[in-house]
Amino acid sequence: MARPVFGRSEHAPPVVVLDRDRRLVEAARRDPAQFDALYRKYLPQVYAFALYELADHHAAEDATERTFLRALAALPRFREQARPEDGPEASTFRVWLFRVARNVIANERRSQRRQPAASLDAALGAGLSIADATDVEGAAVLRDEAATALRAVRALPDDRRRAVLLRFVDEMSTAEIAGVLGKSEGAVRVLIHRALGSVARELGAGRRAGRS
Amino acid sequence: MTAPFAAGPYLPGPDALDGIDALVTDRYLDELLTAAERGAAATPADAALEGDLREATDVLRRSLVRVHPSFRFEERLAAQLADVAVTGAQGDGSMRSGNVIAFRPRTVDAAQADPLLSAILDGWLDPADTDAVARAEGVRSRTRPLIVGGALTSAAISLVGVAVVAWRASRADVRSVRLARERADGVLTATGVGGPA
Repeated sequence: MARPVFGRSEHAPPVVVLDRDRRLVEAARRDPAQFDALYRKYLPQVYAFALYELADHHAAEDATERTFLRALAALPRFREQARPEDGPEASTFRVWLFRVARNVIANERRSQRRQPAASLDAALGAGLSIADATDVEGAAVLRDEAATALRAVRALPDDRRRAVLLRFVDEMSTAEIAGVLGKSEGAVRVLIHRALGSVARELGAGRRAGRS
Repeated sequence: MTAPFAAGPYLPGPDALDGIDALVTDRYLDELLTAAERGAAATPADAALEGDLREATDVLRRSLVRVHPSFRFEERLAAQLADVAVTGAQGDGSMRSGNVIAFRPRTVDAAQADPLLSAILDGWLDPADTDAVARAEGVRSRTRPLIVGGALTSAAISLVGVAVVAWRASRADVRSVRLARERADGVLTATGVGGPA
């Protein structure tokens, strides 16, 4: 018969860390000054999401600022809701933070609609210099492809665009994106699949136009 | 007599087929992102995924790079957050709902950067609740700021106004309204401005 070890039987379920940020979140709850660690960890992700959504550095900075101010203000009321099936990499703080970011950005986009649309490749600028400097022709092709893909992403319906950005830019799992967007995992998979179909069609059309 | 349900081969509908294709795409994306995490140069070869989708995925993987904000912005926001954190801790050791927050000059800057901040600090608005935030933003855009004796005063008063209107719009139950009125009456009595009629 299995003997209990330190008061627990050998058959006790393994301890699952539901939120990899739990330690940092608890520290920030005890002392709000400790929020800095969470801020430094997630700043690039939130800023990048805002920049791709808003296509403007200043608007992205404003949205990032509001997101973190709101997150800090609401942290005492944040509740961890990860499920064991979300896996050890799940971070419900990250999902919650991106829900806050999504709401801030959605409002910013509503006010942006009253202004001329910005160009994402112009806003990213150096971000598109991804090619080998010695291969000028190849670099031009890759830059054109990237610009076409970014335009196609910008033209996607809201939820498809957000799902693609969270998957590619922030490298979130389908489960995390489902949490951010308030949808089922199946719905998120379909959103991304259809978004990729749209991008593929735009890339094909761009290639055909380049040849003719 | 005919059977109520004719037996026949199961043919999945277009939605089910879309779901299956979406699963294949999702698996490819998982492999692609895992390979990138490992630092593997080659992209995974998945014969099940259509060529044009695979290509679109690879182009997006190359194009959607993560962009870091400027160091200056990072440090400025870090200082602003630290200031709000200190202000929150001054209440009674936490930023709990119900604390009266004394806005210091730089925290007023933070509140001006986000007019809904005071409502969130006081627990009237959940920033992760999409519907509540949209309602509050809608109310704020229709609210005319009050100008009473200088910029600082007007900012503080309009913030309180926005917070109360947003809270009323999102939670208009009678008990909350009564509690808020009692609380406001208490503040007015304590400050000598007035009291319950």
